[in-house]
Amino acid sequence: MKFKHILVILLIAAFALAGCTQQTEEPMETEEPEETEEVVETEESEGTLPQVCLDDAFGCAEIPAGETIKIGMGAPLLGDYSMFGTDISQAVALALAQDDGFEGFTYELVAEDTGGTPEAGAAVANLLVTDPTVVAIAGHIFSGSTDAAIPIYDTAGLPMMSPSATNPDLTQKGSAVFNRLAFTDADQGRSAANLLFNELGFTKIGVMHDGGTYGQGLADVVQAEFENLGGEVVAYEGITPGEADYVAPLSAVAAGEPEAVYFGGYAADAIVMMNQWAQAGLEGVLFFGCDGTFGVEFTDKTGANGEGAIAASLVPPDSAEKTAFDEAYAAEYPTEAGELSAFTWSSFDTGNVLIAAIESVAFVEGDTLFVPRGALVEAVRNSDFTGLTGLIKCDEIGECNASGPAFYQVVDGVWVPLDLGS
Amino acid sequence: MIEKIKKIRFTPRLILRMVIAVALLVYLTWRVVQVTSSEAVFGADTWLRFLISGLVIGGMYALIAIGYTLVYGILFMINFAHGEVMMLGTFAGYFVLEAFSAIPGPGTEGVNFLNAQPIIALILAFIVGAGVAALFGFLLERIAYRPLRGAPRLIPLISAIGASIFLQNAAQLLFGPQRRQYSNPDLLWRGTGWMIPVGDKSVMLTYTGVFSFVLSILLMIGLFILVKKTKLGKSMRAVAENKQAAALMGIDVDSVISKTFLISGALAGAAGVMWGIHNGLFNHYVGFIPGIKAFTAAVLGGIGNIPGAMLGGMVLGLMESLGPALLGLDFQIKDVIAFTILILVLIFRPSGLLGEALTEEKI
Repeated sequence: MKFKHILVILLIAAFALAGCTQQTEEPMETEEPEETEEVVETEESEGTLPQVCLDDAFGCAEIPAGETIKIGMGAPLLGDYSMFGTDISQAVALALAQDDGFEGFTYELVAEDTGGTPEAGAAVANLLVTDPTVVAIAGHIFSGSTDAAIPIYDTAGLPMMSPSATNPDLTQKGSAVFNRLAFTDADQGRSAANLLFNELGFTKIGVMHDGGTYGQGLADVVQAEFENLGGEVVAYEGITPGEADYVAPLSAVAAGEPEAVYFGGYAADAIVMMNQWAQAGLEGVLFFGCDGTFGVEFTDKTGANGEGAIAASLVPPDSAEKTAFDEAYAAEYPTEAGELSAFTWSSFDTGNVLIAAIESVAFVEGDTLFVPRGALVEAVRNSDFTGLTGLIKCDEIGECNASGPAFYQVVDGVWVPLDLGS
Repeated sequence: MIEKIKKIRFTPRLILRMVIAVALLVYLTWRVVQVTSSEAVFGADTWLRFLISGLVIGGMYALIAIGYTLVYGILFMINFAHGEVMMLGTFAGYFVLEAFSAIPGPGTEGVNFLNAQPIIALILAFIVGAGVAALFGFLLERIAYRPLRGAPRLIPLISAIGASIFLQNAAQLLFGPQRRQYSNPDLLWRGTGWMIPVGDKSVMLTYTGVFSFVLSILLMIGLFILVKKTKLGKSMRAVAENKQAAALMGIDVDSVISKTFLISGALAGAAGVMWGIHNGLFNHYVGFIPGIKAFTAAVLGGIGNIPGAMLGGMVLGLMESLGPALLGLDFQIKDVIAFTILILVLIFRPSGLLGEALTEEKI
């Protein structure tokens, strides 16, 4: 009996040690004790702080020699939505790696997993603000988790530039730190409704969503706009994401006899719906998705069932820089740019925009790099940068998008630009 | 009859329950009438689709619920790791079908084994799936529950939850978090089926749906025969009735308990393979929600009661599918409806739909 107890205690100790020594992205271990005071304005005349830092509302980030300048991100890296997080974090990491650094300090991406949920978005934000070497956030990726994180970054003075959070309300909340490169869902929804009514000539559509900030936001815009144009929305249904059987809500939509069905949500659920399309009585009805349903995961998992489905993507016009990026991305990673998600190029631009902003306000004194946080927030908001996706210039509320959505269709199992001539 | 009514003591509690029951009945009847006749949003074909979908999923819930009920009947504990046993069955079936789709079929050119001999492949997939799940059910009992036999009832419950988390994360680490898709034989391809004409529309009765439902029924009948007609079944019923008396009668209680876990695991594994064949996509979390739903179904039907678990599973499946439509509510709240009905059944009939009154020893 006693031996059993000792064995159990040893096992638990072994697990605990294994957990503690694991080197994940844990920037907290390197924090020096006095750094945490910098977030709040202090009157202490330490003598070593530059005047700029003392004047700055949020103080300065101090990065000692040998440390990297960190850019944080909250992305779905694991689970059903990992294709987005993987693609976007890879593109930003490539942008940071290609840069030569600033005054001997290199850049590093700290990407934490959110699983796409708002709760985890807030948790990741709380984690990242405790690291004094994180100066900016490339994210978050999903609208719901971005929404939860914005107030936290507002308080801490960390500027955000999201390549993919598309919900329109995010810039309406008066946040000084949030900016985004992605087109808004208001734009995407209006373009989609326009396409459905005017170009494709449908008069009766069904609208579905997954209940999330992003999905329902889009669905509502499409419904309003489609009815505005004179069409009829015969069914409006929500689904619970993560289920295995959507025949019931799909049948309810089918009962209205729509000519096409618009879905606001992510590929994980779109795949399940697409595979149950015929069962639900929607045979021959067009599936019109969004930027969340784009990607190779959709075509892989739906096969023949996904033929003809439409989705939105954010592909920039061809240029020498785009080709160079595509080649570098394909060389570095197992997938190609634009394969996993629609946001590879805007993520690359996000990384570069943030680098440009940081380099415009940072300075070295002694051998420590100082990045005044308040000045950086303004610098990101005042970005004037030409990237792969075009001219990135932010307006007063943080909308910096350069290019609108492009629509793609599945033809022979591959996403090709939508050809309206057919 | 009047004498009987006169004899009822109208306590405030009874009156409250009667008021709630009447109010609910009125509301439900009004809703159902409204949806089916006056508003008539859905045609007969849509209702048939709801019904089919509900029956298929109900069959799978029933199989998993039987597992919960068997274990509760014997050990008076809820095996919270049962959903994960189903998940392991799903993975095992997946790997078997993947292996068969990779090797070439005997004698035929360019056709893989899966399509050349689909029946053999499916039978083997089910045997392996059920077998692996049964094995893990057995190991679960040996490792997580047997050492805690004499402990207070809460302790094995915590152990079960711990085992559930362990199995989920072990599967995630071993197999990766990405979702996988079952490769069905072409004979049983997902999304294909018979088209039944209903009015001027046609409803698809999928091959996988019919296959799952028929197999569920067959397995349930098989289990029923096992429990009622065989010696093992008699031993199981005896141990469930009174463990000490059964031991005095010469029944090897430990062996019966192990066999119960084997059977409940096998059923869950079969349900898992069915789930994969019918729904296609799965990952290490696939057992979590069906586990909870099946537990609900078992409680709904009367925990410890095998026909109750079967009925509870079917009822839950049908309620999830038909409930929102019948009540004219959002499909997003189908879980709310299912669990509300559970609460109502427990308020008005605490032992469940078919439940038996518990004897003193069992409590």
